Amino acid sequence: MASSKASRLGEETRMDKVNAELVVLTYGAMVAQLCKDFDSDYVKVNQQLDKMGYNIGLRLIEDYLAKSNTFKRCSNFRETAEMIAKVGFKIFLNITPTITNWTSDGKQFSLVFDENPFADFVELPDDGRAQDELWYSNILCGVLRGALEMVQMQVEAKFVSDVLRGNDTTEMRISLIRYIDDELPPEDD
Amino acid sequence: MAVYSFYIFDRHTECIYTKTWLPPATSAPDGGGGPQGPTAAQHAPQQHQQQQLRTSSADDAKLIFGTVFSLRNMVRKLGGEDDAFVAFRTAHYKLHYYETASSLRLVMLTDTATPSMRNVLHQVYINLWLEYVVKNPLSPVEHKGGAGVKNELFELALDQFIRGLM
Repeated sequence: MASSKASRLGEETRMDKVNAELVVLTYGAMVAQLCKDFDSDYVKVNQQLDKMGYNIGLRLIEDYLAKSNTFKRCSNFRETAEMIAKVGFKIFLNITPTITNWTSDGKQFSLVFDENPFADFVELPDDGRAQDELWYSNILCGVLRGALEMVQMQVEAKFVSDVLRGNDTTEMRISLIRYIDDELPPEDD
Repeated sequence: MAVYSFYIFDRHTECIYTKTWLPPATSAPDGGGGPQGPTAAQHAPQQHQQQQLRTSSADDAKLIFGTVFSLRNMVRKLGGEDDAFVAFRTAHYKLHYYETASSLRLVMLTDTATPSMRNVLHQVYINLWLEYVVKNPLSPVEHKGGAGVKNELFELALDQFIRGLM
């Protein structure tokens, strides 16, 4: 029930479109530049992408809240996962990753990307290390981390496999660390 | 209908924006004396008064936040997590409250006859806050001390929007 509601919401939300190739090329140029700037230190590139994504996420959540017309907070993390996959990814990237591999405590799940608009035309550098170290779409992890932090969920998001590296699927693992409490006003005297 | 004032509080409970459309009642006790050639003696207390006014408006914001925060918590306790505090009314004004999932709180004080302003506050959030503050690439993510909120576009659009309602 909830899941069909989420997909309807994702379908109905109207967004301005940009050319997909422009996105691919812009993102690609940015990652390429980062690889250059960090001298192919891919661990640092991953970190930087995550950080950039985080800063995007902090703002993007407001756009998401306004565009998706979701007034109610998700009642549990499963619902959050549905909304991320079927509304968030749908309205911003026009894709719907599959939610799988829930842990029994309902605090970790995977998003499997059947298509990844960032990764069209991409081939990782052939230096023997990029295949093992670079998470090309790592910016998405940061975006999710930043956006969820603003709605009071501290999560850890990381890629565990990527078709660009030769894996069968592109999979991101998301774990809920904790719900963040409301901040209280400072005591007055 | 009349809108008296408008406040925005961020998720750190800080008041990051205040605007009033009518002077507070306490500001003109001397019945339209106006600035007719103020002597030095008159000038000094006026300044003093202004200062008092300013500190009192900062106190107002704190009081308002304390009130809406407690009310919201009470409402949730009694009515369940999904319940939302929307407005309260006194003999002289009505306070409207709107909170986003990202813990941004919008508060508006109007006259008592005004119907629910929830929709209006939602519009302020999606049409003004989002467009002119969040999407402004140069505005910071955290609006400490109101940084990034008091930009001309936002202020003008807000003023226009609210005046359009009155």
